[in-house]
Amino acid sequence: MGIEDIFANPLLLNILINFAVGLIVTISLNLEVGFADIPQFGRVLTVLMGALVAGGITGRIVASIYGKPSGVEYANHLINYKLVDELSRLLAQSPTLSITMLVLTLIIAAILGGIVGYLCSYPALRLEEAYLGITLLAFGDVLQLVVWNYDPIAGGTEGVMIPDVFRWIGTGPVRFVGATFIILGIALLVFAYAERIARSPFGRSLKAMRDAPLAAEVYGKDIVALRARVLIIGGALAAMGGALWALYTGSFKAVSYSRLTWTFWPWAYMMLGGTGNNVGMLVGVLVFSIVRTLIYTYKDLIGSVIPINPNWLEYMLVGLVIIAISLFRPQGLLPEKPVFALPRKKIEKIRKAVLGENIEESEAKES
Amino acid sequence: MGSEKYILQTDDLVKRFGGLVAVDHVNLRVKRNTITMLMGPNGAGKSTLVNTCTGVLKPDGGKVIFDGQDITGWPPHEVYRSGFVRTFQIPLPFQFLTVLENVLVALPNSGENPIKAPIRGLWDKEEEENVKRAFEILKMVGLDTHWNWQAFRLGGGQLKMLEVSRALATGAKLIALDEPIGGVDPAYADNILSNIRRLKETLDVSFLLIEHRIDIALPYADYVYVMDRGAVIAEGIPDEIKNNPKVIDVYIGE
Repeated sequence: MGIEDIFANPLLLNILINFAVGLIVTISLNLEVGFADIPQFGRVLTVLMGALVAGGITGRIVASIYGKPSGVEYANHLINYKLVDELSRLLAQSPTLSITMLVLTLIIAAILGGIVGYLCSYPALRLEEAYLGITLLAFGDVLQLVVWNYDPIAGGTEGVMIPDVFRWIGTGPVRFVGATFIILGIALLVFAYAERIARSPFGRSLKAMRDAPLAAEVYGKDIVALRARVLIIGGALAAMGGALWALYTGSFKAVSYSRLTWTFWPWAYMMLGGTGNNVGMLVGVLVFSIVRTLIYTYKDLIGSVIPINPNWLEYMLVGLVIIAISLFRPQGLLPEKPVFALPRKKIEKIRKAVLGENIEESEAKES
Repeated sequence: MGSEKYILQTDDLVKRFGGLVAVDHVNLRVKRNTITMLMGPNGAGKSTLVNTCTGVLKPDGGKVIFDGQDITGWPPHEVYRSGFVRTFQIPLPFQFLTVLENVLVALPNSGENPIKAPIRGLWDKEEEENVKRAFEILKMVGLDTHWNWQAFRLGGGQLKMLEVSRALATGAKLIALDEPIGGVDPAYADNILSNIRRLKETLDVSFLLIEHRIDIALPYADYVYVMDRGAVIAEGIPDEIKNNPKVIDVYIGE
């Protein structure tokens, strides 16, 4: 049995892809909520923006490269599925163009997601917590409704297919295994980036703003700029997550980008893992991905033993976790721990140099 | 700049809250390298005056001149950059950050730029300098043994010192200390104030000390302003203030 056969197991593959995309989105949410204390109840807004780039822009670029219709008619469902099928076959022959399109999609998604994030900083500086949360939530729903009802962008209710940028890897399960690992790699890069941010003076300033905004301001932090910056970064990362999901599934339909899936689930992942702690995000997303995939895969089996439709189990699970975590362990599975911008050893060294001989005595006093 | 006699000067500063005049045409002068004390009973407008000077509140009239520069109405982070910081009467620590980080926040570092932030090599030298400075300050105020504690674990007096050490770390030219000994026992209060006195003598820094406990704080001041109901009712060196009938009146009553 080859390695691709092991990973081609749909259960494992589902867990991995849900984990990878979930991690990107949850990391972005944690930057905004856990580090900067912005009540981001509109995560779906930038995720949808990114998916929209994959659905509405990537395919059009590929179409125009091959001289196919790329205007309004591209999104017409009678034309789109045939056209995209042809484009996918052409793309499969050109790995270079496929990879270029993947990278280009991510870049455009990040830029547009960043712009949307920046636009959100306008209300973010003017509204109090609950009002801001509701405003952001409404933004997400508004964009979803517009894309759902306005055909020319991405097919409206019919949605659009997306030319496959992963088909050059192979056909059948090999394509999905390859795509999953590429996306997993990107997710781990995003994680590493978030960890670097957490261990930098920028991350420290964000946490200072979160803990005491007035004191942060008096000590030279520009709250307006800090909030705008974190919303741009969060928006860009979430949009990349959305774009990757759309590229992986090969289709885009506005209805699948609901606030439940792309706002409240990431909130549950984050709360379970431990708000403010990136490693906690890894744990929270992994646990949820496994449980959700298991429920989904063994739906029929579960349905035969419980008296309700197992489809609802997934939704109930999210609600239950949010309530249970808030009641019993608000800090999450892995609570936020102090992190330092420099390696701990270096700090100890500087400390010894400054404090000199008193060090033994002061070590003893430490609890 | 830098040649002016006064580090801070307010001209006819006014702050109103509706019909209440909280700061009533105050003309304050803080000389360089001194401890200037601002005293007065509760509600006299001391904190409001400092808030108005540091940009936390916008003045309704008058001017604030700091180090020869008109800083009237500047936002707090710009006032900070000009070299004027303040502490809070009720400590506002960064709860989940360690004591060391609380001080480091107050020190500028180019790694605060989100583009440079992920690449440690671009700012780690600055950070090392900052850590060194932070430890020096923490040692001075006696918090060095708690450097890796998260701030929420500290006690009341320690939080006061954390406020002071953040302000000191910035290398500011003027630090407004809003009741640094409020709620602190007299022995520790003396300790804090003599620390401040020593700092004034070793560093080129001026202090605006807000206090209402006249007995403990007065000996440490170089010059004193007394406020009541928004206005300055007396000023002078400590000995004059102690015997000023208006001040006695405000504090002890008829």
